[in-house]
Amino acid sequence: MSLTEAEAVFASIHETALNDLLTAFFTDRPRYLVYGSPSFVPVTTVAETTMPAIAFPGVPGGIQWRIRLGIPSIDLFKQTMQLPPELSLDPGEFGVGLDVELCLDCHRLRIDPRPPREKPNERKEEKRPKDERHPLQEVTCCRLKVFAVGHLERVMTVTGEDAIVFAVDAVEIVDIKPDRLEAVLECLLFMILQAVFAEVRLPLRALRAGAFQLIPVVGPLIEDDRIKMRGNL
Amino acid sequence: MAEIIAALDEKGANKLLATAIAIIGPKTKSGSGTLGPFVANYSITGTLTSGNVDLIPPNTIRIVDLRLDWSLSLSFGFDLSTILPDIHIPQVCIDIPCVGEVCTPEISIDWPTITIPVSFSDFLKTTADFQLAISLSGGKWKVEAVILAIPNLQFGATTVALLAAIGAAATIVLLPIPFIGPFLALAVDAILAVIAIGGVTGFLGPIITPFISGLRIPIYEQPQQFEVLPATSAVDPKVDIVLDLVAAEIQHNGLEDELVLTADISP
Repeated sequence: MSLTEAEAVFASIHETALNDLLTAFFTDRPRYLVYGSPSFVPVTTVAETTMPAIAFPGVPGGIQWRIRLGIPSIDLFKQTMQLPPELSLDPGEFGVGLDVELCLDCHRLRIDPRPPREKPNERKEEKRPKDERHPLQEVTCCRLKVFAVGHLERVMTVTGEDAIVFAVDAVEIVDIKPDRLEAVLECLLFMILQAVFAEVRLPLRALRAGAFQLIPVVGPLIEDDRIKMRGNL
Repeated sequence: MAEIIAALDEKGANKLLATAIAIIGPKTKSGSGTLGPFVANYSITGTLTSGNVDLIPPNTIRIVDLRLDWSLSLSFGFDLSTILPDIHIPQVCIDIPCVGEVCTPEISIDWPTITIPVSFSDFLKTTADFQLAISLSGGKWKVEAVILAIPNLQFGATTVALLAAIGAAATIVLLPIPFIGPFLALAVDAILAVIAIGGVTGFLGPIITPFISGLRIPIYEQPQQFEVLPATSAVDPKVDIVLDLVAAEIQHNGLEDELVLTADISP
């Protein structure tokens, strides 16, 4: 079988090179891996993206949070990366594994007394011993190993180039109990990963290292650990 | 297997090379040469058009009917002294009584060189074999099809036509010369007949061959520091990868011959 088959031009990229492309993207633009509210990320820079805090009544300034993603590692069908049993990699799909760190800036809140105290400076003594009380302020984080599967979609880059994105279809976090907590976290990360990957638009030109012109007729397809395209010059 | 593979079948290669050759555009060169007793200054413009591409594994691209359209402007310096004897009448002095010495003026006729302009256009077709050449120079990867050998250029009827054009142009210039014009025109025609096809081929060959002999057709050119995405804002700088290795060859895959370019990259 020829590479071009019925078309005039063929291009393909192996998952190793695809991961190099993703590493280049996230190394040059690390802000797509780190998102946080102002107490974590005061302003958007090349390194981080600032986001609003989660507004909640009675929490001054809102709930401060940060999510930090590791550089994802993509596995194109056929499967070589080990996935949790809940996920399977079908023809035409990619699998991805990455580390995720979620952090909250946890505060002890001062309760506004109602009705006002007769003696304003008088503080009510807390009954719980000091070592059992939650600290006044503490950054609390957890690290998760996250897996996902998805498919490719054709899009345009912001500069109008023909490109692909990774569309996430399902997310799995391993070993969180109870199951419903795992489901909630998976839902949260499903939305976050969809949004993050939707911003990573890799031009078709880069997938073929700038060689030849290619107007896709067939693909991009995922097969044999590669993304393949065939088309006209 | 290479990390990145791009391939063209012969149909695609035909289109790629046609475009690449068209981009080369017209090329001009000038110089001088001799055609029999004539010294000719010339300016020639040549434009190449691709023919039919045949991909031959492992490393040959053959272009059949590679066409060169050329347009030649000649300026012949025809020294009339080569066919007319220079006339030199020396001074003669006669001593005449009562008058003294009377001298005739010295007369020298040194025949001038007449310039004969000739314009001529034609084309030729040839079959040429090219080899893929890969280089990394000045931070750029290049893949070019470099001509393997100088093809034998067949001028055919062109030579006869060029001889006729020179003869016609000479006649136009020489005929109006009083008394000797017709004789000169006939003399030039006689000289051209002696020069004949062999002479014209010897004249055209060195002029036209360089348009094809040094031919390098660009197939691929990219900076080693390859830009994946341009900078779009202060917080979104450009994204680059490094092209560590680029290779190219002709492969026979299935029923097709294909021009295959491969690349390995790193972040």
